[in-house]
This record gives sequence, C-alpha cells and structure tokens, in this order.
Amino acid sequence: MNLKTATFILLVASLLAAGGPAWAHHGNSAYDEEHWITLSGTVTEFVWSNPHCEFFVDVKDDKGHVVSWSIESQSPGIMRRNNWTRTSLKPGDQITVTLAPAKNGAPVGFSGNSLGKVVFADGRVLKMDTR
Amino acid sequence: MRSRGIYFPAYFTATLAVALAFSSFARAQAGQQQAPSNQAAASAPKRDLSGVWQLKGTGSAENFAADEDIPPMTPWAKARFDAAKPGYGFRAAPGGNDPILQCDPIGIPRVMLMPVPYEFVHTPARVLQFFEREHEWRSIWTDGRSLPKDPDPTWYGYAIGRWEGDTTFVVESTGYTDRTWITPTGFPHSEAMHVSERYQRVDHDTILYDITVTDPGAYSKPIVGPQRIMKLKPGAELVELPCVWSEENAFAKRIREPAASKPAK
Repeated sequence: MNLKTATFILLVASLLAAGGPAWAHHGNSAYDEEHWITLSGTVTEFVWSNPHCEFFVDVKDDKGHVVSWSIESQSPGIMRRNNWTRTSLKPGDQITVTLAPAKNGAPVGFSGNSLGKVVFADGRVLKMDTR
Repeated sequence: MRSRGIYFPAYFTATLAVALAFSSFARAQAGQQQAPSNQAAASAPKRDLSGVWQLKGTGSAENFAADEDIPPMTPWAKARFDAAKPGYGFRAAPGGNDPILQCDPIGIPRVMLMPVPYEFVHTPARVLQFFEREHEWRSIWTDGRSLPKDPDPTWYGYAIGRWEGDTTFVVESTGYTDRTWITPTGFPHSEAMHVSERYQRVDHDTILYDITVTDPGAYSKPIVGPQRIMKLKPGAELVELPCVWSEENAFAKRIREPAASKPAK
C-alpha cells in the first residue's frame, strides 16, 4: 500500500466514522423511507396487537378502482403514549394517512414513526413519536 | 518519488484536518447534550435509578456500536455473520432471518437500544430491570456475589451490579446464549460474551449509558459503543409488549411478506 492509498483510506474512514450514525436511521428496509406519501380512503380494519398494530384502508385510484392498503404501525404501548387507543380507528372512518410505501410497489406501508400520521375528516390528527 | 515526498504532507495535513474537524464537532455535540447543569446534578438521587427510562435515540432500533467500529471477527463469527440476513443496515434486504422475526428474545445488548422504555426497581439484594419490549426482565444482583463460572446460557444472561460513587451503577453480565444477534445488522456473539454497562446518573432526569461487549469467541478486541443518553419518563407506565407469535405470524402474512416480496413483473 502506498502513502496515497493509505491516506485515502484514512480520509474515507474518518468520513465514515463521522457519518456513521446517519445510516442507523433507516430501519424498515422493505419500505422507501426516503419518499413518504399521503393517501385518503376508508378504514376497513384496525388490529391492536403486539408487537405491531396494523390498519387497513381502501383507497380509490385515479380510475376509480379500489386498492386495499395494509399499513404497519407501532406496538400498543407506544401508540397509547402517542394518544392512540384501540378504538382510534373504526371501519368506515374517512382518513388521510402519511406512510412510507413498500419499495416493491405492493399496497403496503409503514406509518409508525414521527413522519407518519393520520388525519381524520374532522381535522383531528394522530401522530407518532418513538423518541 | 520526489513528488510523493512533496504531496504526502499535503495529503496528510488535509486528512488530519478533516478527521479532527469531525471528531471535534462530534465532541462539541456530545458536550452540549451531556453537560448537566449544577442545579440538575445536585438533584440526582444517590444510589437510586428507580423509574421508567428511555433511550434518547433516533426513534428506530439502533446498533449499540456502529457497524464500521466492529473489530475483526473470528472465523466462527464470520461464518455466522455471513449467514445472517438482516433487515437493517448496510446489508439490509427484504425478507431475512433476523431472530426477532421468529419472536426469539432479542437479549442484551439489543433490547437496550430499542425505542421502547424500561424500568429500574430497587430491592435490598438486587436491582430489577423490566423491559417493555418483550415484556422481559432481569435481576442485577447487588449483594456482592460474583458472576457464575459456568452459567447455563440464557437469553438475558446473569448480571451483577455495584455502585461507583453515589451515581454510577456498573453492571457486569455473562451467560448469554449465542442465539441472539448483538445488533439488528446481524453481528453475532459467542457464549463467551461478557457485557459491561455503566449507568451514570448525571442529573435527576438523565443517565449517560456506556456499553462494552467483550467476546474473545467472536471478536479480536472489545467493542465499545458510543455513550448514549437515557431520559427519565415521569409518570410513564410500562405496558405489555410481548412478541406474540400468532400475532407476529398474522402480521407477517398480511404486511411483512407482501412488502418484502419481489415486485411483480
């Protein structure tokens, strides 16, 4: 190894060491957490279970076709500390949800961190913060 | 050759400057976060960590040490690492074989770096640590006993604790099954793993948390995690958060697997 190579490696290593923690933020690898989206639709089911709560929303696409979205959230304990309850979502509720969609294009998403939220037709908002 | 002699100092100086800039920036950040006010420090109870605490982190499951800071592995550990298919970090891929997906207990140190609270309860001979994640707990014995010489390997190990001064609780533990990963990114450990933790209560609401994993069966030298901040959560109550296999399985079929499958073409 010559000096330039050694120096370059040291430089890269120092940059990686400084930037390391940023990598750790992107957990749920199946989801595209760089591109959050917002969907509006009708709640069909809310599952209050451990270790993940889930909810399901029918969303009409541009052509009027109904697409059923499956959405992952947090554990009931975390949800409760964020003012959610087991009856927060009921079938028939009209909501707008912000989520990170699956990278594979399936109608599945993650709404369980501080970027995710649910807005009801009357303007009420349920958020999430796990920090 | 001559040109190398000229260029080397420039390269070296630039590199050193970058490295120093980042390290001093990191220290400055840490200093801002960690320096307790004198008033707050005075209010820290002596030899008492009672209460519900939570990692002040990113809000996601974290590594106790950065992937790039993990030292070289033994051949046994490298084979384990290569077989691991994590859902997190630089090798992340949909699917995977993280034990957490089977509802296997995640153990120490991983449970300490979850975005979920835990609680300390003091009793005369031991400190109990309850983890909301997994609805799990461990005893940290404070009656002066030593660690067992040949413990049966368990998910949460065998722990003893002692006070250094009035505000730093030092926990040493061993006796861990090698079925857990030490990070969500798939780094393994052997049954020789020894974990050292320091809970330094610097003020009423703050613990500075240090963790070192020493495992000669898996790594060439101890792994020292960066110091973390834990915050007291007054009024918070732990609730149950078991990994329920039937519920995890239903979740996998309805959400995890559809999200992880290959795109239809």
